[in-house]
Amino acid sequence: MTKDLITIDRRVTLKWLMGTLAVGQLAACGDGAKGISWPEMKAIEAAGIGKDPDFSNITVPWPLTMTAAELEITAELVDLILPGEGDIPSPSAVGVPAFINEWVSAPYPDQHKDRVLIINGLKWLDDESKIRNGVPFIRAEAAAQTAILDDIAFKDKVKEGLDKPAEFFGRMRSLTLGAFYTTREGWADIGYMGNTPGTGDYAGPTPEAAAHIKGVIEAMGLKYTPA
Amino acid sequence: MTPDDPHDAVVVGSGAGGAMAAWMLTKAGASVLMLEAGRDYSPDESPMLNMAMDAPLRGVGTPDKEFGYYDATVDGGWNMPGEPYTMAEGSEFMWWRSRMLGGRTNHWARNSFRMGPYDFKPKTRDGLGYDWPVSYEDMAPWYDRTEKLVGVYGSNEGLENHPNSGPGVLQPPPKFRVWETFLKAGGDAINIPVVAARRAVLTKKIDERSPCYWASGCGRGCSIGAAFQTTTSLIPWAKKTGKLTIATGAMVRNVVLDASGKASGVIYIDKATGLEKQAKGRVVVLAASTGETARILFNSHVTGRSEGLANSSGQVGRNLMDTVGSSVSAYFPQLEGRPRYNEDGAMGLHAYIPFWDYKRIASGEVDTPRGYHVEIGGAFGDPGMGVGGGLDGYGASLRSDVKRRYGSRIGFTQRGEMIPNANSFCSIDTNTQDRFGIPVLKFNFAWSDHELKQVKHFQNSMKELIDKLGGTLVSEPDEPAKAISKGGEIIHEVGTARMGADAKDSVTNQFGKTWDVDNLYITDGSVFASKAHKNPTITIMALAMRSSDNIATRLRTGEL
Repeated sequence: MTKDLITIDRRVTLKWLMGTLAVGQLAACGDGAKGISWPEMKAIEAAGIGKDPDFSNITVPWPLTMTAAELEITAELVDLILPGEGDIPSPSAVGVPAFINEWVSAPYPDQHKDRVLIINGLKWLDDESKIRNGVPFIRAEAAAQTAILDDIAFKDKVKEGLDKPAEFFGRMRSLTLGAFYTTREGWADIGYMGNTPGTGDYAGPTPEAAAHIKGVIEAMGLKYTPA
Repeated sequence: MTPDDPHDAVVVGSGAGGAMAAWMLTKAGASVLMLEAGRDYSPDESPMLNMAMDAPLRGVGTPDKEFGYYDATVDGGWNMPGEPYTMAEGSEFMWWRSRMLGGRTNHWARNSFRMGPYDFKPKTRDGLGYDWPVSYEDMAPWYDRTEKLVGVYGSNEGLENHPNSGPGVLQPPPKFRVWETFLKAGGDAINIPVVAARRAVLTKKIDERSPCYWASGCGRGCSIGAAFQTTTSLIPWAKKTGKLTIATGAMVRNVVLDASGKASGVIYIDKATGLEKQAKGRVVVLAASTGETARILFNSHVTGRSEGLANSSGQVGRNLMDTVGSSVSAYFPQLEGRPRYNEDGAMGLHAYIPFWDYKRIASGEVDTPRGYHVEIGGAFGDPGMGVGGGLDGYGASLRSDVKRRYGSRIGFTQRGEMIPNANSFCSIDTNTQDRFGIPVLKFNFAWSDHELKQVKHFQNSMKELIDKLGGTLVSEPDEPAKAISKGGEIIHEVGTARMGADAKDSVTNQFGKTWDVDNLYITDGSVFASKAHKNPTITIMALAMRSSDNIATRLRTGEL
């Protein structure tokens, strides 16, 4: 355990140093961090699921690779993507950052592509915040955070030169929504009511659902046939 | 008995064709040795009510579990370590292997559409392809018996080339869900039928199998026996007769002939020991899958001949066909925000679109000779990693977009007929062996213009339907040559040992008996003379039942 902590500390330090260097270089150009490189990363070599996993003992066989600092920005970002609302918890409260760690650490080609995008993207987000706001992303004011997101979050309004960060954001949005809506809290929010075994015939639409579609179909001038 | 003892019949394979043969033969009193290349398996292993949240990566497909974490397929897939296949230059073919007791029946979609009169006599009808040696009328009673035994839900709609089942054969279909009712309204308006699907899923109890409890994806295997698979039905029934011996981990290499040219058994590699073993029987039944059966025949060397076993016609490996696949999907604003309820249902099709345009083909108004059906998917399904597909922005508006669009997207999947062509076949790659030292298959595959035109017909028809219902395409479909599936991708490959009326241009007779070897039978999809748009499994089983009845009679009379 101690050894792990030291390893993480060293990696965080190195990352911080590298980040500082990159920001310094780019700031000199006076054009934000948009030209930052998105270097390829070494593919993860670890055991995968295999062709015959044991369903009675489900495990994630590969080691997790994100640093504490990366997880912290991830938590901040996923909660901006889909903030909690009323009784609905935020993504970070239902384990979405941990899932993203599981995802980007997986030893598969698709997940490797996402890892390159996301790890570099998180770094970009931090660097961009330091340039614009003088502080890392998680310390920036809410308005300063959303100002960055507004440049990369909308398909038709991506700021010039920020295509790669926009791609990163799109992937994070997709992973966040997927991870959140596959939880019980996500089911409650979206209204998934299945995975509930029943006896007898399939119940079919509720009277309310049936009346609704009947109205829709007839308003279109089409013929409704009851289920 | 043990696998070392001589049996009345040696059956290679435990899927739809092999298990049906084993059940029919043991029921008739014959002793059967079933050889399965994969491991023993029962869907009791299936975590029926686990959800995405309980699986690594939320259960998405990975290179080792291509159809997702919970897919029943174990030790199988497109890519198998140490078990390669090769492709001719310019050809692409995807060969799914299912090495486990029960084979592909453990994870199939259970769609069970019987073939019709046109489908058995395609050559007579339009001059293309090859006629079956049986007619629909010959097959109808076997379909009835198979459907009754298996348990198939559906309705008799009396549609052209989509025959009704006999009285009392089908189980009642589950009710349409809201989005299926919606599609039907659109289809009715433009004469595209949307009718009850037919699936091998019980809606009423049969024997010890429970009816569907309206949850749990069928592809992960069904431990309650509702979704048909041979590991909860034919195989345990055959075991109960006391006449079935099963050897798993038995990778068959070749058929062995005696001095008189009759089959005396097969040679297999016992995976546990790596040793070659011989299984002996009075009759050999190959049901190893379309690819593997052809491979076994090719690898069974016959003294004085170079073309492999049962191949005096030269048709082994030829006529390789798969289902034509392509898809479009659309959002329907009219389905947005509709009232929530449980739409899991039978975890598959309740409704589908059978082919409807035969008359315009006959009149020449439609330029593709053969039809397809459309499998449709929508519903308030369990959200997966794709739930945010196509969305934009972030924050509260994103949440409301997700919720508004949930259940308003419908996917349309074409499943069409392929006509056999000279460019699609498999042969042995003499330069490559698998980890057992067995020479591997090499595939050639090409679609023809017939299939590409059919994709266009599908795309145009679905656009018309989508338009009628006010929907918008998720994306404009690609040109047919790009939109069409890869060969093998739909996992409906058939035809490499076709049956026919004439020994000169077919491998087996109408009972799957090879013309060249009197006691060598084939009961898998390789015997298909054509690949109708109907999914092949129910027809594999009906043919296997009919052929096995013939074998049982010949065993009883001492002919074999």
